[in-house]
Amino acid sequence: MGRLSWRLADVAEVRPETERVVGLALDVPDWDGHLPGQHVDVRLTAEDGYRAERAYSIASAPDGGRVDLAVERLEDGEVSPYLAGELRQGDQLELRGPIGGYFVWEPDRGGPLLLVAGGSGVVPLMAMVRQRAATGSRVPTRLLYSSRTLEDVIFREELERLAAAGDGLTVTHALTRAQPPGWTGYSRRIDAVMLEEVGWRPGERPLAYVCGPTRLVEAVAGHLVALGHDPTRVRTERFGPTGVP
Amino acid sequence: MTMDETDLRLDGNAVAGMLAELFGFEMTVERGGCAACGAVNQLGALLVYAHGMGAVACCPSCGQYLLRVARGEGRWWLDLRGLAWLQLDEQARMAG
Repeated sequence: MGRLSWRLADVAEVRPETERVVGLALDVPDWDGHLPGQHVDVRLTAEDGYRAERAYSIASAPDGGRVDLAVERLEDGEVSPYLAGELRQGDQLELRGPIGGYFVWEPDRGGPLLLVAGGSGVVPLMAMVRQRAATGSRVPTRLLYSSRTLEDVIFREELERLAAAGDGLTVTHALTRAQPPGWTGYSRRIDAVMLEEVGWRPGERPLAYVCGPTRLVEAVAGHLVALGHDPTRVRTERFGPTGVP
Repeated sequence: MTMDETDLRLDGNAVAGMLAELFGFEMTVERGGCAACGAVNQLGALLVYAHGMGAVACCPSCGQYLLRVARGEGRWWLDLRGLAWLQLDEQARMAG
């Protein structure tokens, strides 16, 4: 692992994922690879020298010097309106990473795996699901993913495709705000009953990774522990609007 | 829903880059002991309140602040009084 230093990445592709989320494909020179669940710090510098940094989870499985991010545009944000609105293919972006070791999963860590996401919290979990598929892993994996509406579901088609492969991945959606006609999935926020129905039994000793807004993460982690899951096997990552210093 | 302290609470993952810059280790996997309640946690599991100038990381068991960091005027300030001890694994050192 190289010492953490800022470097310039080339923006290879900018694509809308949902109305509020933009996918960025970056080419990072001399990238040493990353682990699913890790993030990068992105730094923007204004003309007057003012700097703002934010952490963004990596959405892609390790793949040479390619790093994919998915950035949700926060209307009053300092960094995301630029990344998810103004950045174009061919631009450069200053970043450092990969960062993080706590909220990381690799196939050899085993399972069964319970992944719980709220909104853009699915991004680091997507890296895990993609790595699982890329390595042919059959670790039994259940993803429970809460979004406001069906249109807000990030990676929807790819998740459908991966779940259809029949290799031990199931994907369950909860739509909290609006549901399309004929919706058969959950129509409420994630709660203890849902976790009991979708998740593993405590005796199966799952590894759980929970990522999303702070309230969702703390509620889900609390439910899992109350249901009898081992707290040391429940890992959380809270997404928030604040910047790191 | 209005924003309150809950929405601003992050965890150790959010300051992993800053801690790596300071310590030269991937700190989220390192363990520390709380000087108040004795709980042992990986730093990735700490509760973190971050703002433009710095961050405070608290014990998830008792809320005691374990680590306070501020940056400004070309300096770092570091207050580790809340930590009884900190263990650094050679494996997590970032090559210099």
